[in-house]
Amino acid sequence: MRAVSHWVFVVVSLCLGLCTCALAQSVPEAPAIAAPLTRPALVAQDTVNAAHTGWMMTSTALVLLMTLPGIALFYAGMVRRKNVLNTMACVVAIAGLVSLLWFAAGYSLAFTPGSAWLGGWDRAGFAGLDFQLEAGKLAVSHIAPLIPESVYAMFQLTFAIITAALLVGAFVERMRFSAMLVFVGLWTLVVYAPVAHWVWEPGGWLAQMGALDFAGGSVVHVNAGVAGLVCAWFLGRRTGYGREPFEPYNLGLTMAGAGMLWVGWFGFNAGSAVAADGRAGLAMAVTHLAAAAGALSWMLGEWVVRGRPSLLGLCSGLVAGLVAITPAAGFVTLRSAVVIGLVAGLACYWGATGLKRLLRVDDSLDVFGVHGVGGIVGSLLTGVLASKTVGGAAGSLLTQAIGVGAVAAYSLVVTAALLWVVNFAMGLRVDEQSEQTGLDIAQHRERLGG
Amino acid sequence: MSDSDKLAIAAHLHVLLRRKTGRVTDTEWMAANADYAQEIVRFARQRATEDNAPDLAEWADRLEHALHASPPAAQRRPLLDAAAQAVRARPAPPPEPAPEVPRYVGGIR
Repeated sequence: MRAVSHWVFVVVSLCLGLCTCALAQSVPEAPAIAAPLTRPALVAQDTVNAAHTGWMMTSTALVLLMTLPGIALFYAGMVRRKNVLNTMACVVAIAGLVSLLWFAAGYSLAFTPGSAWLGGWDRAGFAGLDFQLEAGKLAVSHIAPLIPESVYAMFQLTFAIITAALLVGAFVERMRFSAMLVFVGLWTLVVYAPVAHWVWEPGGWLAQMGALDFAGGSVVHVNAGVAGLVCAWFLGRRTGYGREPFEPYNLGLTMAGAGMLWVGWFGFNAGSAVAADGRAGLAMAVTHLAAAAGALSWMLGEWVVRGRPSLLGLCSGLVAGLVAITPAAGFVTLRSAVVIGLVAGLACYWGATGLKRLLRVDDSLDVFGVHGVGGIVGSLLTGVLASKTVGGAAGSLLTQAIGVGAVAAYSLVVTAALLWVVNFAMGLRVDEQSEQTGLDIAQHRERLGG
Repeated sequence: MSDSDKLAIAAHLHVLLRRKTGRVTDTEWMAANADYAQEIVRFARQRATEDNAPDLAEWADRLEHALHASPPAAQRRPLLDAAAQAVRARPAPPPEPAPEVPRYVGGIR
């Protein structure tokens, strides 16, 4: 009986292991481990790989740099002068809040085995993320068995931070700071963590189905894009929207932020290989090419339609290319990356202009137009362009569409529910006087110098 | 009287005032601003009396004369002529710019 159960365990482990190969942030082969792990475990210290660990620590720093100060600068440059500090404060506060929530429960709910819908509580409070010097043991995740689990948890933490920080662009200039904190905290645990589990934990239902999302096209960008759109709709338009110009404070800051995003995205995508190997190298190359193609295609589109190329268009285009290559980074060839970038640049230009007018929602900094549309385009094109030679998995447009649809629908419904609850409990929007004065003074009693 | 003549008188008075009274003045402003120049004239005459310095009074008179002197005849023109010439010299108006969608209204991009 014991022998039978042993073989069942081995077969199931192998099946899960094979599924994992097709997953986002997929795990490199682990020759040092006799059978693939199915849950986090303590292993001998010499089973972790120093090169992989070093690269993942570097990637973690790069992804955090994307938020602090990348997103903060990118967004702050686009809002009016009177709301610059509030925008930056939102991003910094989110970084702190999400970090503690990830430590308390988020990581466990997202990245431990549980049901197909949600992980367990084993790692709540980072319980079990041990390093035992004298015993020569340390904890590793079953998703990334060649690096310390502490590094993997931190790497995933930076993804949770940036996803929540992306939401800021949708509700800037009118949301109460306190309500923002409560909403984003709930959203991280109730929306982000389950979706990450569906897609990236081997037992998640989308992972089991074979949905491809290398670094977060659906988990991060579709999720944040749709949630941002719901936030913008729920909060309502800013006073004067559509009637008076909302002059951006300093597009130079936006360009600096976009540059940091481009560089940091190497950690985001190449780090999602969870190894310092050839696949990571390819992910880095496709990331760069897609960003370049996205910047140029947005620029050309704007040049043709409006007669002039803009700096903001170039910055937006490069982000569009980066967003779209995110789900595809470990699955497509270099030529496919250029195609994805070119398509994404034009699609997101339409998303931030034509589609925005159709939706009639004041998504202030076009979170849906860039991240939502870019995430959808990239996820679907991954189904079309994924190469079995590169990633070991052929894509399926239908599977990708189901994945995107499921994430978008869940994000839409639950985000709306959370906003309703927070609005009922404490009110989401600042009063009109505060909005006129600006949120820097009204919410923080601070003002830009000069 | 030309501007350079006024400036020469102002410079001379500046030196005298500095030397005899210790008062420091602004030469260029004295030649350009009538109110300032008039005040310097008043001050120079007062000190000329008090300090028995007739050269101060002499150069004060010269500056006052320069202030009230008419501009050279060659430079005077009827207002209508000047206006007409200005209109003729006006550059052609630039072509009407193409109507543009207002920037940053209803969207930042």
